[in-house]
Amino acid sequence: MDAIVVEGLRKQFDPPKGPVAVDDVSFGIREGEIFSLLGPNGAGKTTIISILSCLLRPDAGEARVGGFSVTRESDEVKRLIGVVPQEIALYEELSGRENLLFWGRMYGLNGPALNKRVDEVLDWIGLVDRQTDRLEKYSGGMKRRVNIGAALLHNPRFLYLDEPTVGIDPQSRRSILDGVKNFNAAGVTVLYTTHYMEEAQEISDRIAIMDRGAMIAVGAQDELVRLVGERTRINLALDRNADILAERWRDLAGVSTVSEPEDGRLWVLTDDANSLMPRLFDSAQTAEARITEINLAEPNLEMVFLHLTGRALRD
Amino acid sequence: MKRAWHIAGKEILQNRRDPLALLFTIVLPVIFTVFLGLLIPSGDEGDTRLPLAVVDEDGTRASQELIDGLADIPLLELKTSSAAAIDSAVQDQKVAAGLIIPDGFGEAAEAGRPVALTFIRVETSSGAQSVWEAVEGALSRSNAATLAAEVAAEQVSAETGRPLDQGLLRSALSIAESHLAAPAIGIEVIDAGDSPVARSGGFQQSSTGALVNWVLFGLLGVCSTVVWERKNGLLSRLSAAGVRSSEILGGKTLAMVALTFAQQLLLVLLGQFAFGVDYFSSPLALLFIMISLSLLATAFGLLIASVLRSEQAVVAATVVTALLLAALGGAWFPLEVTSAGFSKIAHVLPSAWIMDAFHGITLKGWGVADILKPIGIVWIWIVAVASVALWRFRPE
Repeated sequence: MDAIVVEGLRKQFDPPKGPVAVDDVSFGIREGEIFSLLGPNGAGKTTIISILSCLLRPDAGEARVGGFSVTRESDEVKRLIGVVPQEIALYEELSGRENLLFWGRMYGLNGPALNKRVDEVLDWIGLVDRQTDRLEKYSGGMKRRVNIGAALLHNPRFLYLDEPTVGIDPQSRRSILDGVKNFNAAGVTVLYTTHYMEEAQEISDRIAIMDRGAMIAVGAQDELVRLVGERTRINLALDRNADILAERWRDLAGVSTVSEPEDGRLWVLTDDANSLMPRLFDSAQTAEARITEINLAEPNLEMVFLHLTGRALRD
Repeated sequence: MKRAWHIAGKEILQNRRDPLALLFTIVLPVIFTVFLGLLIPSGDEGDTRLPLAVVDEDGTRASQELIDGLADIPLLELKTSSAAAIDSAVQDQKVAAGLIIPDGFGEAAEAGRPVALTFIRVETSSGAQSVWEAVEGALSRSNAATLAAEVAAEQVSAETGRPLDQGLLRSALSIAESHLAAPAIGIEVIDAGDSPVARSGGFQQSSTGALVNWVLFGLLGVCSTVVWERKNGLLSRLSAAGVRSSEILGGKTLAMVALTFAQQLLLVLLGQFAFGVDYFSSPLALLFIMISLSLLATAFGLLIASVLRSEQAVVAATVVTALLLAALGGAWFPLEVTSAGFSKIAHVLPSAWIMDAFHGITLKGWGVADILKPIGIVWIWIVAVASVALWRFRPE
């Protein structure tokens, strides 16, 4: 049985003419897994997190967290969850330790138990040495780590992380992703939102792909990739005549899709890249064009998103 | 409510670490207190007499008696001058007016002949007009005494056959003067001394006014923290952690009340010991007023932050609200100097009642019972404004 159940969620802002942020979304999250919501900005990921955090009421549908309804039993739900918001929701004038102490008190912790827990969390997020520095002196990555630490103080059963790696350096991102895997290994069920395909691929047991408020696919990474078959993507750059070649390549045997050229760049989806590539070079030569760059990409979530929406994830 | 205390503690710690907090809570209010205190004239300020330059060209006993009579008028401050300097002294407004007692004044007065004094003034000067009326009053009394003495002496001479000589005239004049000194019909002047109307100027006004003004401007602090915390997801995070809206608002209210109360206490102590404002005639009444003012500012701050969302709208609304409450409520100038209509309209605002209560304890020696009405009205405002704020407050 799923630990988090979402059924037919719908949320529209400023009805009746406002945007529909989430439209008839259903999914389930199993106890102990890392479940990612992957999609571009505006896909509805944060709205789902807000509903599951009892901060927004859905217009329709129902969600249950740990068996409790987010609309009728919000107090019980809030006790089970730790929420890491997209913003650095911390106080700049306080030190890292003071921030954690404050949030611990908000979760009802006090006295020696609170201090012990703060020590543990500081150790996990690797900020023991800088704990007394004010937050305003921290780097973006350090703040992100405290942001996560503040959600872990009360030992939540479920941890929601909303785009926790936005705007940080690769080293801090690595640290956060490793941390998420560690928390999960310790038994925390994780709901993770991101628009970075690589992150979702790396840490997730299962992934839900979202676009414009709708859930377009759910499953483990290999299940999702199978949706687009075993096609390989060939990325090409041409010095001229890209439009002419795109038309010609669409008629070539073994080609399933050719993108619209943009600044001389385009991509081709194929089941057999090895046999197709020589023919691409031949046809380029016929059109008096030169392929100046070529690389192959194995099937991934980016291609799944492209296949299902007709747009690149980064768009 | 334990969380509200923790939120309050956190807010106070943040405020303590804010480098601008000291400037807005203490430095600027003190500067305004001093500035306005010097700007607004006080009802009990030192010498308010009008200077009158006098040239005595006669130098007789009669002229000296006239000068003594003028010196006894409380409105006037006599300054001895010379015929050469008196004109420029008046023109340069070193004195309000000038009076020349001409040579032969005494002789003419003794002989009962008409004699004219020279009064020098700037025509448009209201001070000169007041001096003129005072001099004219003194001369009228002098003329009345002379006339009464002459009539009485003539009557005595006619009835007794005693010759009408200087001795009889002087004797009659002496009797007339003594009667005029204690006339049958007099005017008793009573100072409405307990009324702030005459006395809420100077530091009495500026100390209480600056205090109310800067506490009201403290609502900017409440608003900006709520807006900042909403924008940065802190309020949502608190809500997701299970903290209720009432606990968030309660914590912010506790912090704001504590901070503005401390601010008030410092300004009250400064007013009491540096500017001589009598705040401690009733410490309990003072305590009630201070707490009420702190709550009032907090309630307005939370209302604005609850109703409005954008940072620009909140800042604009906060400044306008604080300005209206402070200026129209009498924190910038005493409402007593405004028209009755203006004062009545101003008393729609709670700040006017706060100022009344402050003036009551500093000027009239009011106690707790006396402040019940103004503070009761302030509390109606507090409850109403805070209720709407709580009703409309959304962390998201």
